[in-house]
Amino acid sequence: MSAGDQELARDLGFLEAYTIGLGTMIGAGIFVLPSIAANQAGPASMVSFFFGGMVSLLAALSLSELATGMPKAGGSYYYVNRALGPFFGSIVGWGMWAGLTFASAFYMIGFGQYFLSGLGPYIPFLAESELGITVAALVMAAMLTGVNYYGVKETGSLQNVIVLSLVGLILAFLALGALSGPTIGEFNPSGWPAVAATIGTVYVSFIGFEVIATSAEEIKNPSRNLPLAMIAAVVTPTLMYVGVMWVSTGTLSIGALDASNIPVADVAAEFLRGFASAIPFVSVSPGALGAAGSIAMIVGAVLATISSANASILSAARVNFAMGRDKILVEWLNEVHDRFRTPYRSITATGVITLVLIAVGAGIGTLAEVASFMYLVTYALVHVAVVVLRRAEPADYEPTFQIPSVLYPFVPILGALACLAVLFQMVVAFEPMVLLGEGVVGVEIALPFTISIVGIIGIGIIAAGVAWYYTYARDRAPSQSLVGDAIAPEPAAAADGTGQYRVVVPVANPETERDLLRMAAASAHAHEDDDAELIAVNVIEVPQQTSLSQDVAFEEERVQRQQELLSAARDIAAELDIGLRTRAIVGRDTGSVILDVIEAEDADHVFLGWKGSRSTREHVLGSTIDPVVGRASCDATLVKLGPEETPGEGDIMVLAGEGPHAPVAARRAAEFVTTAGEDATLTLLNVQQPEDGDEDQSPQERGEALIDDLAERAGIEYMQYDQRVVVAEDVESAILEAADDYDTICVGATRSGPVTQAVFGSVPEAVGEAVDRTVVMARGPEESTMSIREAIAHRLSVS
Amino acid sequence: MIVPIASKSDARATTRALASHVDSVAGTVVAVHVIEKAGGAPDKASIEQRERDTEEMFDIVRTQLEAYDVDLETEILYGTDVAETIVEAAHEMDASSIVFTPRGGSRWVRLLAGDVALSLISGSDLPVVVLPDEPEEDDE
Repeated sequence: MSAGDQELARDLGFLEAYTIGLGTMIGAGIFVLPSIAANQAGPASMVSFFFGGMVSLLAALSLSELATGMPKAGGSYYYVNRALGPFFGSIVGWGMWAGLTFASAFYMIGFGQYFLSGLGPYIPFLAESELGITVAALVMAAMLTGVNYYGVKETGSLQNVIVLSLVGLILAFLALGALSGPTIGEFNPSGWPAVAATIGTVYVSFIGFEVIATSAEEIKNPSRNLPLAMIAAVVTPTLMYVGVMWVSTGTLSIGALDASNIPVADVAAEFLRGFASAIPFVSVSPGALGAAGSIAMIVGAVLATISSANASILSAARVNFAMGRDKILVEWLNEVHDRFRTPYRSITATGVITLVLIAVGAGIGTLAEVASFMYLVTYALVHVAVVVLRRAEPADYEPTFQIPSVLYPFVPILGALACLAVLFQMVVAFEPMVLLGEGVVGVEIALPFTISIVGIIGIGIIAAGVAWYYTYARDRAPSQSLVGDAIAPEPAAAADGTGQYRVVVPVANPETERDLLRMAAASAHAHEDDDAELIAVNVIEVPQQTSLSQDVAFEEERVQRQQELLSAARDIAAELDIGLRTRAIVGRDTGSVILDVIEAEDADHVFLGWKGSRSTREHVLGSTIDPVVGRASCDATLVKLGPEETPGEGDIMVLAGEGPHAPVAARRAAEFVTTAGEDATLTLLNVQQPEDGDEDQSPQERGEALIDDLAERAGIEYMQYDQRVVVAEDVESAILEAADDYDTICVGATRSGPVTQAVFGSVPEAVGEAVDRTVVMARGPEESTMSIREAIAHRLSVS
Repeated sequence: MIVPIASKSDARATTRALASHVDSVAGTVVAVHVIEKAGGAPDKASIEQRERDTEEMFDIVRTQLEAYDVDLETEILYGTDVAETIVEAAHEMDASSIVFTPRGGSRWVRLLAGDVALSLISGSDLPVVVLPDEPEEDDE
């Protein structure tokens, strides 16, 4: 689809992106976790929230770079799969999906707590009970699944109203709470290890900003709005959480907070009592004011938990979709409902698992920690993905936002380490864990450390992802991991400085592959370089908008075809006694992939085949040939293979015109002749118009002088060659007529800049099209475009 | 004329109906599908997912109309209000009429998914042609 269409699909500005992030962030976390966090670490849990925010901020920076570089549905999963391959893709895909379902279950139980416990005192029949909470959570989760299944319309303005009123409510809570003068008792009663452990518990309140990344394709001006929205959506809640913990632990005792199911509402009720006497003119009883505050917070908590769970269910469906797109998951799950236009199967699956998790009664703290765990694993890999993509520089990855250069290796490295550190202390406690008691086998078998329940569940989910990869995904998902490219972005051979001669040969057609490689080998051999090598490239093009017929079978067929082509290339190279490497690439656009290979391999020459007819509308010679020939920074040769047995041998003729690239064509011809040996002759042909130029030189003499001059410029004057000068009024038809006498015609590009419509120039292209022989069009390095490309590459790596 | 397509089954139904009235079709048929945006709230499905689905709808239309002498164009539209987006697009491309087949559906379904047909008929200032849903000849 065109860029114009893409713009139409973008309807989220900064505010919308920010509120989507905030709406998911301000969820059950801030309303439920104060009681758990206070119990674990006392007032010092403020520090836990603060560090949770820092870990998220680092992840937000890395995610912003990835999201602007690859604005695709699926968020973190997609980036990790792209950069690290389907093995890690399976882990993160399932991990995120599991994380989102655990988080949804957590939000829903938080909803249940506030809904029932909060309303219980006012509506007596809703007695406070575990069963009641679970039932309320189940009903609401089922309703949300239904709303998303049936595609009930939600509007952006409703979303904005909910989020802004939540923000207002929390700000009011903070302001009034601060005014009431909270008094913190002992700041850190449980010690710093407990504070560190609490980071893992509260991290679930920070996973929401991810939705901004998953909406990257819909954000206007993403290079600015996306990172801003993400950072703002992390910083705002972090400050709020720290503030809420301060007010909460300063207002109620830790024991009271821990005992409460609705800590924030209780805190509001408590500090508002003190304001009753301050209200002028009317007398308000402290109890009534407290109750009003409590109800306001309960309504806020209900809205917040619902909006978080809603966003999580939709995010989970996007992860499923992205996994299906990469063949890691069955596409069946991602069918869009005919009527409701929703991914109904995926939503149902997410909803059902969420319901099961609620019903199992895993405990709200465990649900939160498992969700945290899965997201910390994801973000650790996201940081790795940033580094891999920066080093591998794939063609289709051009992030419009980049982590500022002063922060670059620092942010992803620190971010990944921070995630791992939090994970480690969540999983491992340094107490011996008895696996088997003495009574069972006689000896006590124990680990020197304990693995927590959360660690066991989390590692189990990762193991399930790995198992999934080996049993399902490995055979289906084409590996496009960039790790290898990242480790060795430049081929190792280039490092020794010998300037090995490399010819990149894109191959696509098994019938012409052999001749193309043979001619490229001839060119490579002629360079006095034993290490000269060919690089055979085949690109599987996956269009931006993949269409209907692309089922799994077709995909496998293409991969197999690619393998066959490249293995044939290796056999041919062995016969020809030339070094050959193959590159099998899956890419969006063949032309730019080839250009990228040329640059990455530091190639000297690109050797392309051409079917011999110009393409119709937007391209001159072909959608792949045009950009490669137009922009390659090295020699470029385009070959139309003739009907004879061995193209590139026999009588070879060079059009010795005055074009800037005629010497390149002459060199190519000389290379073919040298390699063919006895079987080949070389003729340099020049066409002169009868009365043109100087009086004292006949057209014949003029032509011969030009030919000798060309041979000298091409550096082939030592070779044996025939001169042939044709005198004719119509140059082009004379060339076409003369061409019939030869087996192979070499012609240099006549055009020198990248601006004109033709790729090689009108005469070479006319010859290529009209002459039923092997035609070789050649040009030298494209100096001007090279420098622009270099400049851009340079700029990108610096900024 | 502009022909809104709502889904894959609607693509089949609409082209079937269109084909049997093909004699009266003059000019170009522009098949459109509106990808409904929530305008700020998270969408139910990602844009890309729905774009793929839309291409499948257009493929159905294309294949079924192949046998007829009709100029066909396709376009994906984006908007928060489906009916409004169709009418606006119809004006932009100077369409003479909006042609579609109603999808039916119970009251309950209409309540949940919205009733685009009704909004189109009541909200359009261009002629709206409602083609009856032809029975399917062969099962799929």
